[in-house]
Amino acid sequence: MRVGVIGVGCTKFGVLERTIQELAFEAVKEAVEDAGVSREDIDISVVGTSNTRGYELMPAVPINEYCGFAGKGPIRVEAACATGSAALYTAYSSIVSGMADIAIAIGVEKMTEVTTPTSLAVGGRSGSYLWEFHQYGTTFPGYYAMHASAHMAKYGTSPEQLAMVAVKNHKNAAKNPKAHFPKEITLEKAVASRYVAYPLKLFDCCPISDGASAVVLASENKIKELGKEAVWIEGIGFSSDTANVAKRGDYSGLKATVEASKMAYKMAGIEDPLKSLDVACLHDCFTIAEIMAYEDLGFCKKGEGGKFVEEGRSDFGGDIPVNTFGGLKAKGHPLGATGLAMIYEAVKQLREEAGELQVDLKNYKALTHNIGGTGHFGWVFILGV
Amino acid sequence: MFIEGRELTYKHNIPVTKVEKYWKGLEEGKIYGTECKNCGAKYSPPQADCSVCYSSDMEWIEISGEGEVVCMTEQYSFPAGFEFLNEPYVIAVAKFGDFKVIGWTKEKVFVGDKVVAETEKDETGVWKVYFKKV
Ligand SMILES: [Zn+2]
Repeated sequence: MRVGVIGVGCTKFGVLERTIQELAFEAVKEAVEDAGVSREDIDISVVGTSNTRGYELMPAVPINEYCGFAGKGPIRVEAACATGSAALYTAYSSIVSGMADIAIAIGVEKMTEVTTPTSLAVGGRSGSYLWEFHQYGTTFPGYYAMHASAHMAKYGTSPEQLAMVAVKNHKNAAKNPKAHFPKEITLEKAVASRYVAYPLKLFDCCPISDGASAVVLASENKIKELGKEAVWIEGIGFSSDTANVAKRGDYSGLKATVEASKMAYKMAGIEDPLKSLDVACLHDCFTIAEIMAYEDLGFCKKGEGGKFVEEGRSDFGGDIPVNTFGGLKAKGHPLGATGLAMIYEAVKQLREEAGELQVDLKNYKALTHNIGGTGHFGWVFILGV
Repeated sequence: MFIEGRELTYKHNIPVTKVEKYWKGLEEGKIYGTECKNCGAKYSPPQADCSVCYSSDMEWIEISGEGEVVCMTEQYSFPAGFEFLNEPYVIAVAKFGDFKVIGWTKEKVFVGDKVVAETEKDETGVWKVYFKKV
């Protein structure tokens, strides 16, 4: 059975003076109105939030009630920074199982209710606390910095190439009013910024953002019955890797991306991603993450990710525009919201509703790539019309 | 407008009984991994149970000799719990034969550097691995 996206919603990302349920409400309202169905037509809700920083420790029920879904779920899912994708899969599965005709996936995160040292500790404790954070004070930027150190040593990837990812994504975010940082930056400024976790600098890192997004899915039969246009979920891939960084085989890429993309490409019948895809939303929580993703998704050979961005191949007019709405880097990265914000972006692009940020469509296919932790979770979706 | 939430402190009691040899070993300058006697799978950090074959018959193996740094970072932002640090700190992963070990370093190291591992207690009383350049 085919499942399609019929409605999408996304809040502005940033430091937002809203509770988690108020924030979710904004995205849900936009998604349900966009779907053109009524709230009562939705059979089940899935609430995706990691919520390790917010004051409401078990937020699924308050969110569900506030969005008018009391009695319809909620199923709460958590997959770190890939939570939104796990929520989408759960909603998708509820339809494929025949238990629901219409389902909503809600992704939301409140990250700014605690101080930055607390936020850093929460992120760092999310690998394998006892063996890493407890002894060594690992942080989330630190884990990606370790991967950057390996990639740079092995392939000669330069600080300038890392910064080019940030410059590109900020340039796109400047045209996206929902972005946390809707402004351009220069390469000089990015390269000269202070270190957060060597070799990563301030402008290599995504901000700490609040935000919410929501996606309404329906079965093919329901979509026909409603007489709607849908964006179809054509491929899904998922994988994961070890919790402990010392147990990984290699640090110059993410195996979870490789495995998840293979599964998604197979399901969608894609052999050459660059030939088949028009646009991609990649998980660029840190600049090195986008460079590794080009390689691990097969957009270029292993080790050539730095050159890929330097040659403009991931920019508008290149082989495949990547992170057209600004990416996690400049649009923001509210953990639970990110995966569904990628679906929002892919759907807007495939419907040709992206305004100034619209890409040229040839195949009408988009890819989303959402990672939890440092490849602790990996999700890839292929969408098409 | 904001209101301040009530404070909640977590200070967990973490059971390390099944891997006590590792934690006691650090106090004696030794670093241990484990190897499954049934299937040969190797674990660092150590595990008391084998994720591959589900055996719990494990052998403790001392990790020693010269290792090579495979990835590293220098942290310039201090997470909660590490306020006692005054200077950026280096975290590295080094490969010693079949085992990889995470540790701090006393000096900056880079990928490819050869190191030996020692153990030491930090200001908060936590024992850990330190790499020293050869
Ligand atoms: Zn075994």
